[in-house]
Amino acid sequence: MILTSANTLEDKTIISYKGIVTGESLIGANIYKDLFSGVRDVVGGRTSRYEEEIKKARDIAFKSMKEKAEQLNANAIIGLKISYDNLGGTMGNTILITAYGTAITYE
Amino acid sequence: MNNMEINNKEIKNVKEAFISIVLGTASGLLTYYLFLYFNIAIFGWNLGLFFAPLIAGYVETIIAQHLTGESIGGISAFILFLVTVVYGFIIDNNTLGYNIITFGSIIIIIQAAVPTFANYFGIVVIISMLSYFTGFFKKLTDNIDNTIRKHFGKEEKEIEIVLPYDDKGSNEKLNSLDFIFMTSNNPEHLEYDNLGYFYTTAVFERNTHIFHLSPENVEKKHLNELKKGKDECLIKLSEKIKKAGGNGVIDLEISYILNGLGGSYFQVISRGMGIKIKEEYPTS
Repeated sequence: MILTSANTLEDKTIISYKGIVTGESLIGANIYKDLFSGVRDVVGGRTSRYEEEIKKARDIAFKSMKEKAEQLNANAIIGLKISYDNLGGTMGNTILITAYGTAITYE
Repeated sequence: MNNMEINNKEIKNVKEAFISIVLGTASGLLTYYLFLYFNIAIFGWNLGLFFAPLIAGYVETIIAQHLTGESIGGISAFILFLVTVVYGFIIDNNTLGYNIITFGSIIIIIQAAVPTFANYFGIVVIISMLSYFTGFFKKLTDNIDNTIRKHFGKEEKEIEIVLPYDDKGSNEKLNSLDFIFMTSNNPEHLEYDNLGYFYTTAVFERNTHIFHLSPENVEKKHLNELKKGKDECLIKLSEKIKKAGGNGVIDLEISYILNGLGGSYFQVISRGMGIKIKEEYPTS
C-alpha cells in the first residue's frame, strides 16, 4: 500500500478513485503516561515516553486507514493528511490523532 | 548537521557538564571538610553550611562556562546543600533519633529545598495513584454531582454504555453515497466544474458526567462519538454539495475542536471545494 501526501504517483497511472479513508486514535487518561511526562517536564528535556505513545497512536490510526483502503480494493492512498488535536482531558493531554486520504487504485 | 553529529555533540555536552558537576562537588566537599576540621563557626553554627554550597556552585559555574560556554544551573551547590543539611542537621546531631520528628523534619527539608518536585510528588503522584487505584475521588465527585442533580436539576443516567462504532460499515456507507470525497486538490484525469467552497460542522456534547466507566472506556466513548460526528459532518457536506448540483468534493479537510465553557463540546468541521464531475468517474 503506497501512502503519499501528493496528488499523483510518479510513473504510475491512477485508474480509479475509491473515496475517503480515515483512521483515528485517541491517547490520554493514562496516569502513568501523565505522571512520567510530568516528571520529565519538571526535570526538563524531551518527553520520549510520550513521543512513543504518540507514535503508537499514529500507527493505530494508519493501520485503521489502510484496512479501510483495502476494504475498498484500493492499493494506494494519496493526498494523505495527518493531524494532532488536543482535546483537553487530564493535564490537557488527550490527543486525537487522525489520518485520512483518498483511496485509489493505480497501475 | 546530521543525527550522528547531533548525538556526538550531545554526548560531549553531557560529559562536560558531568566534569563540571564533579569538580564543583569535590571543591564544595573539600571546603566543608576544612570548615569542620578547623571548626570555623559562629555561635556554634558552622559556616561551612553556607560556604560549601556557595564554593561548589561557583567552581561548577566557572568550569562549565569555560567548557561549554554556559551555566548548567549549580547542581553541585544543590548536592552540597543536601550533604551539609543531612550531615550538619541530621547525622551530626546527637539529639535526633529514628523517630517521627526526624522523618517529618527530613520531609520538610526536602520540601524547602525542592518545593516544586516535592509538591508534585506529594500532591500529584501519590494522590493520583491512590485515586486511580481506588477510584475514590471519581466516586466521591460523581456522587456529589449526582446528589446535586437529583435535588436541583435533571438526573443523569446511572450507567453510561459505550456504544460500538462500526469502522468498516461507516467506511462503506461514506463511499457509497453516489458522491466522492477526495483530499487531493487537483485529481488527475478528472474533468470537473468548481461549485465553490463548502463547509459543515457537527457539534455534540462531551459528556463529562460519566458514571461507572473506567478512564479507558471514557476514552473509547469519546473516540466513538468523534468518529460518529465526523461521519455526520461528511454526510451533511455531501448533501449540501448535492443540493448545489455537485457529486464530489476535493481538497477535503476535517478538523476537530474542543469548544464551549470548560471544553464541554466537541466540534467537527469538514470543508472543501464542491465539484461536479463532467464524466462518470471510475470507481472500479
